[in-house]
Amino acid sequence: MNLVLARELGLSVLACAHWPDGPEDTVTPVPGFILSSFQPLVVEVAQRCLEQRAVADPAVRTGLLLASARGDTVTRAAVAAALAEGRPVAPLLFYQSNPNAVAGHIAARWGLDGPVVCTAPLGAGAEAVLADALGCAALLIEDGDADQVLVIAAEQAEQADQADQADQGDQGDQGDPDHAVALLVAPAAAHRRLVTRERRDQRS
Amino acid sequence: MREPRSPGPATARRVLVTGLDALTAHGRGAAVVQPHITAGRAAFSTVDRFAVQRHRVHRAALLPEAGTLLDELAGSVQRACGQAELDVRTAARDVLLLAVHSDEPTPQGPLSRALSARCGLPAVTRLYTTACVAGSTAVADAAALIASGRADRVVVAAGYLVEPIQYALFDAGRALARDGEVRPFSADRRGALLGDGVAAVVLEAAESAAARGVQALAVLAGWGRAGDAHHVVRPRPDGAGLARAIECALRRGGIGADQVGYVNANANGAVLGDSAEVEALRLVFGKGVGKVPVSSTKGVHGHALEGSALLELVVTVEALRSGRLPVQAGLRAPDPQCPLDLVRDLPRESAIRYALSLNSAFGGANTALLVGAA
Repeated sequence: MNLVLARELGLSVLACAHWPDGPEDTVTPVPGFILSSFQPLVVEVAQRCLEQRAVADPAVRTGLLLASARGDTVTRAAVAAALAEGRPVAPLLFYQSNPNAVAGHIAARWGLDGPVVCTAPLGAGAEAVLADALGCAALLIEDGDADQVLVIAAEQAEQADQADQADQGDQGDQGDPDHAVALLVAPAAAHRRLVTRERRDQRS
Repeated sequence: MREPRSPGPATARRVLVTGLDALTAHGRGAAVVQPHITAGRAAFSTVDRFAVQRHRVHRAALLPEAGTLLDELAGSVQRACGQAELDVRTAARDVLLLAVHSDEPTPQGPLSRALSARCGLPAVTRLYTTACVAGSTAVADAAALIASGRADRVVVAAGYLVEPIQYALFDAGRALARDGEVRPFSADRRGALLGDGVAAVVLEAAESAAARGVQALAVLAGWGRAGDAHHVVRPRPDGAGLARAIECALRRGGIGADQVGYVNANANGAVLGDSAEVEALRLVFGKGVGKVPVSSTKGVHGHALEGSALLELVVTVEALRSGRLPVQAGLRAPDPQCPLDLVRDLPRESAIRYALSLNSAFGGANTALLVGAA
């Protein structure tokens, strides 16, 4: 399905990884990130994907697009709980106050110096989230700011206190455990033509 | 610095700004807030919106009696669409992009859904959460959609209203200025302060605006994005990532750095961040780095996080339109390492043709938006 989505957007998939990859799969903790499974999950799936790529070409600008419908819900809940109970907020949580930080960790570790973009796709379900992320990546590549994009779609398991919010709908895969997918994408060999709604080719 | 490549398709359409709006602690509406920002009137006061007694820092720039984020985003979008002479009937095929921290719940459903319903616009197409470059990232995508012919018109909205969670995180991370003032580029800068910031911009293909008989406020002449690949949160000290983003924007705009007449800088008063931005400007402008006027208006309205980049784009457009460049507020002690021509003391009159709005964020995300006179 991932390959089909990418192909429809004029992208080829250079490497791909999933988490979990089997029933007993584990995630390696990442120093500097605490309490939440979100950042280690993102790093784990990114690493598995990038380890599959051919030798990295330093001339290739690789962007990073991190998509998550719900984002890091645990960090936010931890801060809210600390405030409600009058406890101090752990200083390290500042470094996971938004999704850019873990994206920066991956970019620094793997030398990805293309654009860093984070989105919260609005469609329901993992397939819709990934489709939105791949669409965003395709636009980045076509527009010329990146040659390749590491696309990561990651969701944490829904927390118990999110049940009410989930009733508002379109918030990802409710009830699923943590899961993530990473794809390294590049333009397909045959460049897709740009066609407007009026079917007018912008490059002809 | 690695040489940037030629971005964007050669047949790209011109992207115009036909409507805009901004909200800061100074008030609602670009015409209301711009004079305060231009004059360098800092809006920081003691936070009374929520309890801050347990925090190290107690100040931010807050709009008195601000509504909910949904209320303020809707108001901003409606004012921008009004300026662009859009109504629901003409907006049916428009694209709406939103830059906020999350798709938070509201009594009318998720924020994205409630916003489009409240404004009578189509559903939000994409929601950007790229922290302090979320709004400029959305603008770059909007421009790409228009330039490539995928969309004729895109409404971009972004916002952040100071609230307890992010405030607590920034305080815990010691990112807030202990002296209660924001001093971008000043030798004695101590950090950032948060501020309310909501903005909306209508971007439109030149053909579309002409067909509707709508005047352009400005041209979005170029845009660029690049990463530092350096650290989780710290900027790359040599500024190379931000410099590549700027070079990308200039190449798209087809101009040289010497044609830029004003830079609205990202600087938020952080020691490392402001220095890295100086280095980026040094890389781009070379020996001319001391000749281009620069100011960071965060010294006035504070750091509006996901709302900041779009707010500062509006400020930049209005500076270009008025020919009055905003004062660098909070500048107290010259930094010997800063060779920039900061706008000091009074707004500077200047009939500029091009201006840059720069933003950087956690994760080494950098953006540059190049605005041209209409």
